[in-house]
Formats: sequence, structure tokens, C-alpha cells
Amino acid sequence: MKGLSPISFRPGRGMIQNASLGPVSLYLGAYLVVCFFSSDPIVMLAATAGAVLAGLGSGADRAVWFSLRLGAILAISMIVINALVTSRGATVLARLGDWPVLGRVDVTAESIAAGAIIGLRALGTMVAIGIFSACVDPDRLLRAVHGFAGRSALTATLISRLVPLAAQDLTRIGEAATLRGPGANQVGRAAMANRLLAGSLDRSIDVASTLELRGYSLTSGKTEFARIPSRYDLRFRIVGVLLMVLALLGLFLDTGSFVDYPSVLYSPGLATAVIAGAFLAGGLCTWKRGGRRNVR
Amino acid sequence: MSGESGLKAPQRSATRPSLSVEALSYQYPNGTGKTLDDVSLDIEAGEFVLLAGRSGSGKTSLLRAACGLVPHFHGGVLSGSVRVAGRDTAECGPGELADVVGYVAQDPETQVISTTVSAELDLPLRFRGDQPAERARAVEEVALALNIPHLLPRSVNTLSGGELQRVALAAALVTRPPLVLLDEPTSQLDPVAGDELVWLLRRLNEEWGVAVLLAEHRIERCLAAADRVIALESGRVALDGSPAAFLDYAVGDQPALATPAALMFAGAGIKPLPAGVRDAHTILRQKGIDIDSARRSGSGKPPSTRRPGSEEQIALSVRGLWVELDSGEGPVDVLREIDLCLARGERVALMGRNGAGKSTLLRTAAGLVEPLRGRADAPGGMALLTQSPADFLVREKIGDELTGPMGKAALSAVGLDLDPDRDPRDLSGGQRQRLALAIALAGRMEGDELPGLIALDEPTRGMDRGLKDNLSQLMRRLSDRGAGVLVCTHDVEFAVTFVDRVILFGDGEKIADAAAGVVLSGGWYFASEVARVLNRPDLVGIEEGSRWLIGESTGRQPG
Repeated sequence: MKGLSPISFRPGRGMIQNASLGPVSLYLGAYLVVCFFSSDPIVMLAATAGAVLAGLGSGADRAVWFSLRLGAILAISMIVINALVTSRGATVLARLGDWPVLGRVDVTAESIAAGAIIGLRALGTMVAIGIFSACVDPDRLLRAVHGFAGRSALTATLISRLVPLAAQDLTRIGEAATLRGPGANQVGRAAMANRLLAGSLDRSIDVASTLELRGYSLTSGKTEFARIPSRYDLRFRIVGVLLMVLALLGLFLDTGSFVDYPSVLYSPGLATAVIAGAFLAGGLCTWKRGGRRNVR
Repeated sequence: MSGESGLKAPQRSATRPSLSVEALSYQYPNGTGKTLDDVSLDIEAGEFVLLAGRSGSGKTSLLRAACGLVPHFHGGVLSGSVRVAGRDTAECGPGELADVVGYVAQDPETQVISTTVSAELDLPLRFRGDQPAERARAVEEVALALNIPHLLPRSVNTLSGGELQRVALAAALVTRPPLVLLDEPTSQLDPVAGDELVWLLRRLNEEWGVAVLLAEHRIERCLAAADRVIALESGRVALDGSPAAFLDYAVGDQPALATPAALMFAGAGIKPLPAGVRDAHTILRQKGIDIDSARRSGSGKPPSTRRPGSEEQIALSVRGLWVELDSGEGPVDVLREIDLCLARGERVALMGRNGAGKSTLLRTAAGLVEPLRGRADAPGGMALLTQSPADFLVREKIGDELTGPMGKAALSAVGLDLDPDRDPRDLSGGQRQRLALAIALAGRMEGDELPGLIALDEPTRGMDRGLKDNLSQLMRRLSDRGAGVLVCTHDVEFAVTFVDRVILFGDGEKIADAAAGVVLSGGWYFASEVARVLNRPDLVGIEEGSRWLIGESTGRQPG
């Protein structure tokens, strides 16, 4: 029996786990769109917080904390790297002299702010993907993909299995790294990340070949899978549409646009407050009245 | 059964062959040479064919070519032709062949797609367009046949390696394809499940006319069930004949492929060579050697096992160990009240059914799993090679995994002499296993660095007998230097070659702990082939079996 990765799917009684794929994808997709494409820090923060609330409400606590931890490490790394490699900006905070390879290093408030935006983007995206991975049954995803990519098992596998496979590999490779002998080269985070990506792609190809051997393309996507409606579908559909419209509207209107050069400029307005408030409140969509009774 | 006698010629049908291979040569992309070289063979409908060969001889590649994965998924250069039920694999990919061929690969982790077992078995039937009633019946039947109905509602994440392998098999068999290709399907199965699988395949073969092409290193498990054996050497067909012809070839030219009973008979100068235990009993009775009397004349005295005399001699100490795991379906007791002790220098096999908790014990001792109660300590340190060797291979070049004299010493110790620029993922299963072992042992093989305990979890997957012998020699060397060796294995014949003691687990509890000669003889399943042939409590190895037979056939027993 193996240890299960925090972002591996676990069946549960939470709303996200039991709703249909379409409405849930719309709902979590809105968070993903905002976190990935927006450059409004307040909206991004609110969307990340909303996604955290949504995950906690569905009982995906382990996935939420795991994604937050991983995302935070990534975000801090991006802030540090950006501060060191980008010296542009009017507000110099520290002059660190000449470094090998990097040359002259001036740490500016603008480069830190730009790194923070990229880091925030990574953080929010990871939380949304982590919740999706932990709460959405990959079998449902596979069935949905079969409908539009019925001849390509590889496409189906990459969409429905890449993240779960990476999640499984992460636990095992991490364990194996601790078991290496002192005479073997030790495994750093970069080597691990590289192996994880390459290994997941390799395993995706293996899984895709299995899918082909099981007859995935025999019916060219015409296989009918029974649709199981959920009483939560309407809720996710309404909230999802609302959030997606707000997200796209925010991107289109470029609300609360953030400028990091030559100096940091940020002017949040009413639209920022409305969108941020909506995404924060949207996270409560997965919570039931009377507390988190849905948590396993 | 034709194979049991080992003497009957295989029967061929006059219908179109299930599989027809003509002048097949194949080279993997970036491969240094041909993996398959001018291979020609036919598998007729209803034949049960065993594919034998040493590690890296081309067995897996031939199976991949027979289901269209080569070249459609693996690329490379292919010449010649492969036809499955008349369809040319150059024109039909694996998806288009799915209704005529089932394939089970070596690694069960990549063979399972769905999240639950029932969904996994249902999926191929859905793809085929079966009606719900047909699907339900087929799933139930295949689950009963493979003894996994209790697994149906389980999440695949909660399954052990052996359970996963049975599920992968069930998924390949559920559509009842006319040709089934299996690549080491018993490598992670306990002896009971392994034997049952082979006889299930034989039953499918006899009752439904399913043609079976089975690649297996544990030849003694399936030779008696086979109609015919094809042996590959360096990508070429070295032999295509009856089990009896194969045994003559193996004993003469490739002892690493011969069964223990055949080697024992050859060592004692007894002919013909037996294809299985029943065959061996028949031959021995014909020679006037009474197996039942032999059993009564056994000494019955089990050899004693070593026990640590002082704290410094302890390799592993397990006291009152309870382990509970939760893989998403609620906590389950995986180990219950385990007590055991291993001495340094001792060689112990940990055996038992799939899911009995063997791997969990090793993982707990290595600190990967937190016990609920009790302790598992390896006071002198521990090196553990887990079930999946690929997890140890992180970099893209072998030379980047192991550098310096310690790395080179580890590679040499496991018998690997490979190009350091080669990608570990291009290695064969056996080579990967040995490389992972070298990584786990690097810097731990000399003097003070040697850990008190070296533990290996199913280390013989993908290895032929020659490689297993190398591994057992390595383990002997390490134990002679003072390390305790604990090997979790289903491979009885491998255990026989080097362990002093066997601990048997059953559903989370230790049910037997005694000398190897005691546990591995006198039983039906957890017994070596030699022990099953000779029926004598403390005779389990090939050489001692041969000596005993020589003594019996000349009318005297060795002391």
C-alpha cells in the first residue's frame, strides 16, 4: 500500500467532488484565468484566497496546504531571482556590486514588485490546479476528453493524467531521494523537478499506450458514458458563469493595472473591489450552512 | 496436458495464425544495435507459447511489436512484417488491434488508468461499445477468475504492487481477446497467485482457444502449461520447440534458462528432463525412486537460525509494531503486533501473499512510514531499495548518478559496465534494477560505511536466473562483511539460493519464522521446485537435490 500524494484525487462528500465536470471546470477555471492572466495584485490575492476557501470547503485541506507551500516556495524563488537578475527600476534599495555571471546587481523595488506579481500568479495557479487535481475524478475528465479527442489517447492522457501522475511520482521520487547512498550524487530540487516533468511525460506516454491497447480509439469518441447529474451543478454553473464573466471583463478593461517600470504604479478602483470581492465570496460556494459537515 | 509430459509435439491448427512474424528486425531510436534480428514465428490460434530468454534478449520488444506499440509508440527502425489476426501492424496501430490482442506490460503502475478497480475493468468494455449487462457480467467473471472481487470497489491508489498487477491482467483479459501477450505477469505476484494465473491462462487457452504468448523469467512456473517454447538470444530465435526440446537446449547451452528440477535431474544424470513437478514425479517413479518414502526418511530436524547475541550484532529490531495506513479510504491496519530480530550477517527472506504488509515493514524500518505503536530500529543504519527502481534514476546520464571511486565501486559490485553517457531510462528492466541498487549502496559497501541492514523490496523483477545469481552473490558478499540482508520477495527460487531464514507474513501478521529449509519445503506454494519434487523437508536447493538423487539412485544416501 502506498502513500498518497496530497494532490491525488480522493473521493469525498465535498461539493466539488460530487458536482459534474462542466460546472466545476467553469468555476475553478474562472479562478485559474484570473490567477494566470490578471496583473491586478488585489484581484489575484483575492482569487487565491477564494480558491483556498473553495478547497477547504470541499475538504481538500491537504491539497490546499501542499499547493500553498509549493506555490510559496516558487513565489519566493521568483522574487529573489527577479530581484537579482533584473536591475531596472527607479527605486534602488541595495547596491550589491559586481557578481560573477550576473554582472552588476542593483536590487530595486520595481524588480521585487514584478517578481512578486509573477510569484503571486504561480501561487494562485498552483492552488487552483491542486484543488482541481484533488477533487475532480480523473475518470470523469477522461470521459469528457474522449468526447472531443476520441482518436488521441496521448491528448487524453496529458489532459486527464499528467498532474495525477506527477503527484504520484513526486511522493515516490522524494522517498527514493532520501534512500540514496552517500556515494551517489544527491538529488537537488532542480534535478527532482526535471525528473518529475520528464518522468511524468514518459509515464503519460506509457499510460497513453495502455489506453490505446484498451481500445480508446476503437469507437472514435462515440462511446457513451452515462451522465450523472448533481444537485450542486446549478450552484457551480451560476457562480462559475458570474466569476468567469467578471474575470474576462476585468482582463478586457484592464482594471487595477499594475505597472512596474520605471516605477511602481498601481491604481485600484471600484472594479478591482467588485471583482476581488466576488472571487473571495465565490470561495464560500463550496461551504455548507452549519459548518464543514462535508469534510471527511 | 501436452506440456506436462514435456514430450508431445505442439499441435497446430490449419486456421490463420493469431500472430505471424516474418523476418522482423527492429532497432530502437538511438539504439546501438538491433534489438530484434530476423525473427520469424507463427503463433496458432489456441497455442500456449512460452517466450524465454535472458534479460535484454528482446522478449519485451517482440511483445511490443506483436501489439503494435513497436513502432507506433516507440518509434525506431523496423523491417519485416508482423500480422495479428491477419492485420499488418505497420498499417494498424495498437488502438486498431485492441479487439484482437490483449497486452500486459512489465510495469503494472503504468497499466492502470482509472481511479477504481471496477472502473478500470469496465473501461475497455465501454470503449468496445458493450451493453451494461454484458459489461457487468464480464467484469464479475474476470474478477472472480483472478480472485479479485474484493478489490472491485477499491481505489487503485490503495493497491499493493501485486494487486495492481492482477488488476492490469484483468483489464487486459476482460474483453477476452483471441491473443494475449504477457510480459512477466507473475513478477510481483505471490507464489499462489502466480501459479493460479498460469493455470487460469491455460484454462482460457483450452476452453476459449485464446492464444497465449507469455514472456517469463520464472520458467519453472509456466513450462508445464506451455505447448511450445521460443527462446531468444540477442534478438534472434535460438530455439522454437517443445518444452522437452527447450530443456535440453537450456541445460546444454543456457543454464540460466533451465528450471531447477531440470538442472537437478541433469546434475544427477537422470533423463528425460522434467517439464514440471508431476513430470518429475513420474520420471522418478519410473527410475524406482520412491518420493513418499523419501519424505518419511527426512531428518525432520530444521537447521538452526542465527540470533543476535549482543546489541552490536542487531541489524533490525522490530518490537510490538503496529502500522496503520490511510490511502484515502479510511485507516487500515497493515501491520499488527510484529516482533522480529535480524542479526548482522544474517540473510533473511520476507515472504507472504500480496498486500500482507511486507513492503510496509521495510518502509517503516527505513523511516518512511510512522508506526502507530511499537518500534522498528536498524541500529547500524539501513540501505533500502524500493519496489520501483526507476524512482532512483533522476538524471539523464548514468555518469551523473554515480561519480567518483565510490560510485564506480558500486557499479562494479552490481556487475554493471555501461556507457556513462547512456540515459538510465534506456536500460532494460534488470539493468535499471541493478543501477538503482548501486545508487542505494554507493558509499556503503566498505568497512565502517557498510550499513547494519541492507533491504531489497522485490529486487528480481526483470532479472533472469544468471542476474539473480549475481545478485545473490553480491548479497552474500555484503552479509559476509557484516550486513544483515533482508529481501522481500515472491521469488522462492531466488530465496533458496542465498537466504538462511524465511519470515512468512499473512495479512499484516508474522505467521512463520524459521530456517529456509523448513519454510521452503513440504508446502504447495511457498516451496522451491526441488522441494516439491523431492518432498523432503530440508532439501530445497538444486545441488543438494542432485546429490540426494545420486545417492538414492545408487542405493545409498549421503550423510
